[in-house]
Amino acid sequence: MARGARSAQLKMTRVSNTVELSDIVRDAHDRRTRLRITGRGTWPARAGSVAADAAELELSALTGIVEYVPGDLTLTAKAGTTIAEIDAATLANGQWCPLLPWGGDDGTLGATFATATHGPCSTTLGAPRDHAIGLEFVDGTGAVIRAGGRVVKNVAGFDLTRLLVGSWGSLGAITEVSVRLRARPAVDETWIVRVEDGAAVSRLDTLRRGPLAPLAVEALDGRTLVRIGGNAAFVAASREALKSIGEIHSADPASWIRLRVSDPHPRAPLASNAVADPLAQRVKKQFDPAHILNPGIMGEQYA
Amino acid sequence: MTDLSIELTNIVGARHVLERATELLVYENDALPGYHKRPRLAVFPGTRDEVIAVVRALHAARAPFVPRGAGTGLSGGALADDVVLLGLQRMRKIISVDPAARTATVEPGVVNVNLTKAAAPFGLHYAPDPSSQSACTIGGNVAENSGGPHCLKYGVTLNHVVAATVVLPGGDIVKLERPAADHTGYDLLGAYIGSEGCFGVTLDVTVRLTPNPEGVFTMLADFTSVDDAARATSAIVAAGILPAALELMDHGTIECVESSIYAAGYPRDAAAVLLIEVDGALAGLDDDVREVQRICRDCGAREIRTASDTTERARLWQGRKKSFGAMGRMAPHLAVQDAVVPRTRLAPILARIAEIGARYRITVCNVFHAGDGNLHPNVPYNGNDPDETERVHSAMREIMEMCIAEGGTITGEHGVGLDKISYMESLFPGDSLDAMCRLRDAFDPERRANPGKVVPSHRCREWLAAPGAHS
Repeated sequence: MARGARSAQLKMTRVSNTVELSDIVRDAHDRRTRLRITGRGTWPARAGSVAADAAELELSALTGIVEYVPGDLTLTAKAGTTIAEIDAATLANGQWCPLLPWGGDDGTLGATFATATHGPCSTTLGAPRDHAIGLEFVDGTGAVIRAGGRVVKNVAGFDLTRLLVGSWGSLGAITEVSVRLRARPAVDETWIVRVEDGAAVSRLDTLRRGPLAPLAVEALDGRTLVRIGGNAAFVAASREALKSIGEIHSADPASWIRLRVSDPHPRAPLASNAVADPLAQRVKKQFDPAHILNPGIMGEQYA
Repeated sequence: MTDLSIELTNIVGARHVLERATELLVYENDALPGYHKRPRLAVFPGTRDEVIAVVRALHAARAPFVPRGAGTGLSGGALADDVVLLGLQRMRKIISVDPAARTATVEPGVVNVNLTKAAAPFGLHYAPDPSSQSACTIGGNVAENSGGPHCLKYGVTLNHVVAATVVLPGGDIVKLERPAADHTGYDLLGAYIGSEGCFGVTLDVTVRLTPNPEGVFTMLADFTSVDDAARATSAIVAAGILPAALELMDHGTIECVESSIYAAGYPRDAAAVLLIEVDGALAGLDDDVREVQRICRDCGAREIRTASDTTERARLWQGRKKSFGAMGRMAPHLAVQDAVVPRTRLAPILARIAEIGARYRITVCNVFHAGDGNLHPNVPYNGNDPDETERVHSAMREIMEMCIAEGGTITGEHGVGLDKISYMESLFPGDSLDAMCRLRDAFDPERRANPGKVVPSHRCREWLAAPGAHS
């Protein structure tokens, strides 16, 4: 098949490798063909703002862990690898990449970083921008670009990794991500705490700001779900601290995944142009000069 | 006086524009000996409005410039080669400290440790702690995305900056913010941090302040072989313990420190010591300390000393933090490297470094953030001896290429600047370097801010096409 014929003829292409993706995007750039970049389609609401005539480029077939050395606490995987797969691989070594994103673990690594999706533990364990140590992406001209690296500390060159995280596929399609891992807490407990009055709310707030800060706190209707993690002595002390807030009951650890799947934090539809300022527009123009990548996803106008 | 210097003098006053060679002498260097570049002139604005006016005057004159903080950098990044040097050290106001929000907003010339001092009454501190923290500025830290020993647990500058106001080289003022959970725009703050003065001039920075830990244990573990110390490091990391800091100093470094005024009581007969700090909530802290001690002993530590009070802790840290300075006793020049390697590869890589050093007949002093795999194989040498200088440069190149081949990077916290620019092409493919140039072009289309640094200019595809391109 002649290079580039696919994006012109098919509305959906399942990309199988980076070279193919690069060829398709370069051709789309030359022909001004609009593209909709998707993974496993876990962000349907936001994807709805992309130009309706965009041809879909589906990246979920770019899967697999490329490198995982447990002793280094780093992992590199193709963008289509699911969060669940990465969680299973790292669990075997008592480690995790604590993204724990809203929406659950069926989404892809690439989408989680492209959307910078947070989760209930992001405040304590870090957001996607804090976990990414490097990535590979194909920009709007078809260039394959490597940013960052596979080591945990790196200031070589300008930070294209941070630029791509949260850019919603509008500056490039992420094809691979390297992340920093952490050891899972030796003890990890979930409790439901009855937070009955203003005084209890303030005690909980003090706990969250103190040395025994829980990993996650989510207020549900009338109950508060709290996750505490650390070594045994730390968790024992945290448990005692929780009791001083209100009555506590042990909860199913699976409460967290159920909560994340039900996603109580839906992203509001884009009300305004998120890339309205001239600097953001110049960035967009540098990486997607033909404006073919997910046009409209940042709320911007497209002709 | 040129038109530009008259214009700048009108903005900041005659006292704050330097043009004479003797006055400019101190601005010819940063903290890395070996590079000298004379600025065309140096200008030191004292207020936010003056900074903006200076940047706009430079824009109107199409004049390239180099922003500079305290000049403590170790990459030659703040050197101005016959262009304007824009010094920000007069911008040292702490604008606000908000203990409830745990943030502070400061001008770029505020010295790192002064921010921590301002936060101390509230039981807070600014976590990133470069060894130069008693002199380096927050603006410089933002430009370099600086690290420091405690970044192992607490993260680097990027993880602590919440917002920055920046005047772009074209004169526009932009507010860059850390994206919130439901953000919708680009992380331009993340792109700006670590841009080495190539993207603009910082007007103010808002940082996160960190609560002081409830408990701190500082240990010094003493090893009879570097290999054992490196293995202990990998084992601690692999065991899932996250110390606040985990530093390695080898025999050469210990000798330099112990012979200097910074003597910290390190055992002079040790092949290497690990300086390990474990901190956090008191509950459970003892268990982590015992586990670290057990691992060190299992890996062959002779002795593990624990600092019993803050004075002893400060002394143990002083030796580490002043070790680069202590190396100044050995020779007039110091080659500094900053490679980062995978942590499981530390022991074989240190053995290779020793082998390369021996082959080139040079003294390598290793002092580094072992927990991050962030090496500093430093070489004191006499730069007036061409043969020795040549051997040092050849050895350094071999060490760097080995680190790259091992899957590492060329700089973990010092920046590329001038010193490491020649390695960028071994590290990144051409399209990646071009992409970095394009990101710079979005911030500075005329390429006037810190020209000739970070990315080799011949790697920027449209370099020659850019209006006002300066090479």
